[in-house]
Amino acid sequence: MIPVRAFLSSLLRSVRPRRADLPWIAGYAVAFLVSHHVAAMWGGQGFYSLLYPAAGLRIALLWSRGPRLTPAIAMAELVVQTVNGVIVPGAPGWIMAMIGVARPPLTYGAVVWAVRRLAPHLRSTLGVAPMPLAIGSIAAPVAASLVSLPWALWHPELTGADGASRLVASLTNFMVGDLLGVMLVAPPLLWAVQGAPGWRRVARIDRGRMLALGEAALVLGTAMALAVLLAAVGLGTPVTPGLLAVAWIGLRFGRTAGWCAVLVVAAITLPFTTGPLPLAERLALHMSLASVVVVGYLAGSFSDAQAKAQVDLARRDRMLFQAERLKTLRAMSVAVIHEISQPLSTIAIEASHLRVIAADADPEIAEAAALIDRKAATLSQLVRRLRRFGGRAVDEPSALPVAALIDMVAALVGPEAKAARTVLTIDPIDPNLFVLGQEIELSQAMMNLVRNALQACDGSVEIAAAREGDMVRIGIRNRCAPDQAMRPGMGVGGLVARAIVEAHGGTLTRQANAAGDVCATLTLPLAGAGQ
Amino acid sequence: MSEGGPDTARSIVYIVDDDRDLGAAVARLLVRHGHAAEPFLDPAILLSVYADAPAHCVVTDIMMGDLDGFGFADRVREIDPAVAIVFMTAWPTTANAVDSVRRYGGLDYLEKPFDERRLIAAVAEGVAWSRHQRAVRARTAALTARERQVFDLVVLGHSSKVVAHLLGLSIKTVEDHRAAIMTKTGANGLAQLIALAR
Repeated sequence: MIPVRAFLSSLLRSVRPRRADLPWIAGYAVAFLVSHHVAAMWGGQGFYSLLYPAAGLRIALLWSRGPRLTPAIAMAELVVQTVNGVIVPGAPGWIMAMIGVARPPLTYGAVVWAVRRLAPHLRSTLGVAPMPLAIGSIAAPVAASLVSLPWALWHPELTGADGASRLVASLTNFMVGDLLGVMLVAPPLLWAVQGAPGWRRVARIDRGRMLALGEAALVLGTAMALAVLLAAVGLGTPVTPGLLAVAWIGLRFGRTAGWCAVLVVAAITLPFTTGPLPLAERLALHMSLASVVVVGYLAGSFSDAQAKAQVDLARRDRMLFQAERLKTLRAMSVAVIHEISQPLSTIAIEASHLRVIAADADPEIAEAAALIDRKAATLSQLVRRLRRFGGRAVDEPSALPVAALIDMVAALVGPEAKAARTVLTIDPIDPNLFVLGQEIELSQAMMNLVRNALQACDGSVEIAAAREGDMVRIGIRNRCAPDQAMRPGMGVGGLVARAIVEAHGGTLTRQANAAGDVCATLTLPLAGAGQ
Repeated sequence: MSEGGPDTARSIVYIVDDDRDLGAAVARLLVRHGHAAEPFLDPAILLSVYADAPAHCVVTDIMMGDLDGFGFADRVREIDPAVAIVFMTAWPTTANAVDSVRRYGGLDYLEKPFDERRLIAAVAEGVAWSRHQRAVRARTAALTARERQVFDLVVLGHSSKVVAHLLGLSIKTVEDHRAAIMTKTGANGLAQLIALAR
């Protein structure tokens, strides 16, 4: 019972809205109220509306703030619908009405949660942003209408529709209304919330962009003209030209362009359907419009995802090239170390002798000899250390003192820190902390993290280590000087560090706090609990 | 093969390195520490003269031209089993470090640039070991073939009776051989005899 209770309480804790969420929920409730009334313009018998923008608000909020807000959103909708008089507490059937109101937001939340869980595991373009959002935007309305099917069968009077065909029509209307609402409203809201990189790009006008705009306008204009022509000669209102046009525009110019084309089509179509139209005709129009919207948005999202995948691929290629260059550099530096170590051996021997024989000579000579000897010794130690670090040989894992590991890393990156005018500080470290592992690999992992911190910005880098249960927690924190932008790296060092740390049974996390400090924290199991 | 001189004489150490300056520097360092040290650029030249002037200790680089340090060590050992060998390298690897000690009988494996004290300690240890080996060999060199057989069995802890049985001799003969061995090696009792065999 205890684990179940613990799980439930942690679930409750995670879905409870945080303080930062409250304005969003309140705003949502107001926007929901307004859009719910706007939607009534496209209402009809047996369903609420053929265009339901509130669904778009809902998915935008769920996507941007996370599916954990699902219960809060459902609660907000319940409150709004009580105010609207849809739910009258105490009246007959009010429980069913409550369930009917809460069902769509709960379904939406479940779909968004599922899509977000599954997307990272997809290997195809479907898993690349913005495809998951597109899939969620289509799946949520479909799922919501499918979930309401059993309820509608059980209580036909709820939808006001009796008979199979009216029931299906009602649910289809519901689905189409939500789809249109989601597709038309959610994308611009999400762009606005996420800093609208798309709009800034759209706003920049250059020759290529003008050409693209011209092409899109030509394609869409031709399609619309064709549709109007066909309608004028009495051949109905065919949807195919518009469908082809938005698919073309979406695939060619991406999601933003696709959505704009869809908006144009919707803006032309929707005013016709607010008036008194036969239900079947209006449904047909809205279904056509929904398919145009879905195709346009999917095509655009797919094109964006492809472009992003291509960028990722190019980045991976660059990483590969860099790895190749590093390999060459490594071979070169090993050779250089060897070339240095040979004459350095001679210098060190002679310098130490010189120091002895110069001890009784002129103080200036003695001092100079002692200095040369000291420097030769320091250099010798550096060469030995570098060689061990660059060595190919893989040793057996051994118990390594954390303090010594950090000292070695600090000695190796010290010159780089000085060159970058960054202050490298190391907190006193308990000498009794030992980890079991490959010395070279672990120092490589820590070195990568420290170098990442050094390269990120000018300022200071702090290294600290402390025991935490049977693990040791090593934190590498960099504090940027004010008005300093972070310089992003290639990310190879971090990947390598993570692989090494995880192979040693540890974890690596990165957190940034509000002040802009970034802390890379690695934990490693202690050897023999700190013997 | 001549012997490495009386114990009072300076110990002889050869340094083999294809870096002339380094070889000379190490030789001077060892001279300062009381050894008669001589640098060699080419291991082949040292091998050609070694039999006439054997050393107590040879300090050799591992990575050299035609003949590497390990091959050279094997060849020197063939000529003189009583020489101590110390390896040094600018390309240290764990595998080489293990090999140099276990397979090639190296006394130490030094990474360049060296820790001076460790080099001097290794050479001193090598010289002491070599002197002991030479002393043992000098004292057992005079034994006849039969006496050597008896010696080898006695130092294993066998009694005269068992030795006689193993070699198919009479106990009296074995006792005679033992007396001859004691005289020739100057050993004073079984314990010293066993110490010689080490």
